[in-house]
Amino acid sequence: MRGFQESAEGDPPAAIAELDSEERAVVARVVADVGLLLGGEPFGMEIDAADADEDPLFRHLRGFESALSDPDDPAVLRILPNAAPDDRDVADEFRRFTEPELRSLKVDRLRTIWKALNEDGPEWVVPTGDAMSTAAALTDIRLVLASRLGMETDADATALHEEIDRAHDPATGRYVAGNAQNPERVWLGMLYQALTWLQESLMSYVMKDDVMRDDV
Amino acid sequence: MSTQPLSASDVDVATRTDDVWVTLVWNDPVNLMSYVTHVFQSYFGWPRDEAERRMREVHELGKTVVSSGSREHMEVDVQAMHSYGLWATLRRSGE
Repeated sequence: MRGFQESAEGDPPAAIAELDSEERAVVARVVADVGLLLGGEPFGMEIDAADADEDPLFRHLRGFESALSDPDDPAVLRILPNAAPDDRDVADEFRRFTEPELRSLKVDRLRTIWKALNEDGPEWVVPTGDAMSTAAALTDIRLVLASRLGMETDADATALHEEIDRAHDPATGRYVAGNAQNPERVWLGMLYQALTWLQESLMSYVMKDDVMRDDV
Repeated sequence: MSTQPLSASDVDVATRTDDVWVTLVWNDPVNLMSYVTHVFQSYFGWPRDEAERRMREVHELGKTVVSSGSREHMEVDVQAMHSYGLWATLRRSGE
């Protein structure tokens, strides 16, 4: 895997990462899974014609029934959080008016990534104009993984990183299956770390001009 | 509640002086410092040093007030923060 870097051609401006076919498959899978969690149509299974004709109003209404109360799944609650924990009425009203739109925005961003990962070749090309929506989608995926991993505090995050380190041989840095007490958790944690690293590299690309402006 | 006084530019003209609401952004272990800084810069239009200072407040103090004004305006800000995956809430100022 190679993190996001500025495209050498620069026209149109883009950030490009490189993932081998296995890495692409894993990332595309988790992207699609989070899309499903948010109530989107399964990626790659949409009926294109119907999709294009569909009244945007209906797309918003699709998530409406579920928008009346907090989501039951803690991972979904993490990406669509309660906006007013001390005031039930304010929270419910906010959810009713914003959640369908937020859901479809988040699903659309994930679908864009999923499509890019299903292009041929190792490159994951993110046009500059899509960089922040891609970073936001990576945040949503990492929030879902963090919820599944029970990561609520900074201390939980540190503990997870240590757990992953212990599952690796200190000399070679290679993963040793026998070292992991909970291999599935370590595997999810490593996916979380890889996505964090990809998002960091994308943010370096997005913010490169901010740094230059400050230097002036 | 943040002890940081709000600057004049942060304070909207609310419909009633006793009905001022605030938007808070809360710390979580997932959001990257660079990402939060950039969201603050691009959404609130803050210069980078101000955005970084607020991001550090979230990280170190657990939360910060990012805007204040009418409830409707705060709902727009909270929705924007949720679109970026930031954990934001609104409440009446002074509560």
